[in-house]
Amino acid sequence: MCLIEAGQSGECRVRVNIDGALRTVVYGYPCSIAVDPIEKKPLFHFLPGTGILSVATVGCNLHCTNCQNWEISQANPEDEDIRAYSCSPEKLVALTKQNNCPSLAYTYTDPIVYYEYTSDSAKLAREANIRNVLVTAGYINAEPWKKLLRYVDAANIDLKSISDDFYRRVCSATLKPVQNALVMAKASGILVEVTNLVIPTLNDEPEQIGELARWVKVNLGAETPLHFSGFYPRYKMRNLPPTSLKTLEKARQIAKSEGLDYVYIGNVASKEGQNTYCPGCKKLLIERSGFTIMQNRIRGGGCPDCEREIYGVWK
Amino acid sequence: MTRRKFIRRLIATAMAIFAGALWLACKAPPRFVRAVRIKQYPGVLKPLEDISGPSKWSG
Repeated sequence: MCLIEAGQSGECRVRVNIDGALRTVVYGYPCSIAVDPIEKKPLFHFLPGTGILSVATVGCNLHCTNCQNWEISQANPEDEDIRAYSCSPEKLVALTKQNNCPSLAYTYTDPIVYYEYTSDSAKLAREANIRNVLVTAGYINAEPWKKLLRYVDAANIDLKSISDDFYRRVCSATLKPVQNALVMAKASGILVEVTNLVIPTLNDEPEQIGELARWVKVNLGAETPLHFSGFYPRYKMRNLPPTSLKTLEKARQIAKSEGLDYVYIGNVASKEGQNTYCPGCKKLLIERSGFTIMQNRIRGGGCPDCEREIYGVWK
Repeated sequence: MTRRKFIRRLIATAMAIFAGALWLACKAPPRFVRAVRIKQYPGVLKPLEDISGPSKWSG
């Protein structure tokens, strides 16, 4: 929680105290609207192969020194080089339908800082039979999170590290609220996938990876998909090399040995690390190449060979 | 002090504490406040262009 003085904005730069009232300056003014493949979120167990209308405003409540989207997440609405569209929640839902997207994602920066826009759009989208997806760092208090989750169908939530010290040093945040948000999201019944960006020397120790995977298994369940994503030097962290494929493959191997059913590798080319395999009979279920689905063998939400139910929303 | 007086004083004290707590709860700001949208965007607006392709942003 940040206390906002009169006339000042909060940590996110987009929520302002004007004459004692909390104002959001980005409601209805997204800086990015695009149709992405849903695999880009990444969501691998939610309507695979479909397009998703993806929206974001400027601003973020975290300040990760490695942020991949820092040009918009750390921008001020007043910045002239980051321009915004005027797009009401009604227009957003209409655009989703026009582009034949079954779902709408609140992503790129963090939907938590444009909470009211997300919440109102999600309500309208649900009325129009459009599914709502959040891509978030999950740094939010319990009460607003619970209210927002009522309109959400799926979320990819970052678990940036299992160390509170990492959150404090790299993200200007803390670990516990993120863990609480993850547990609440899973308990609410929405589809949850977790992303961990593996940064060389900062959170790539095998012990840390193992501890993170154990936490996911114990608190969210073995069926929760975990994505290990490759880091690229960006923003204030240009001194470190990109994550090697070997490190990501090792992380995947550790998480699988801890008992997680679905572990993926992202941001690098990896054949096995992008596919979905049945945790029962180990047969290939979904073959991916980049963000493209090459084949999907899931039938009726289960494995066609051993009939084991596969965690996900498949239609 | 008689037992009756003691019980009266006990009830009065409890009522005073309850009234004080209620007053404090009413005065305290709510923990969850919905922000109100502003009338005009403080930055520069752009026209809606082609949005059918993927975004350059991560996520």
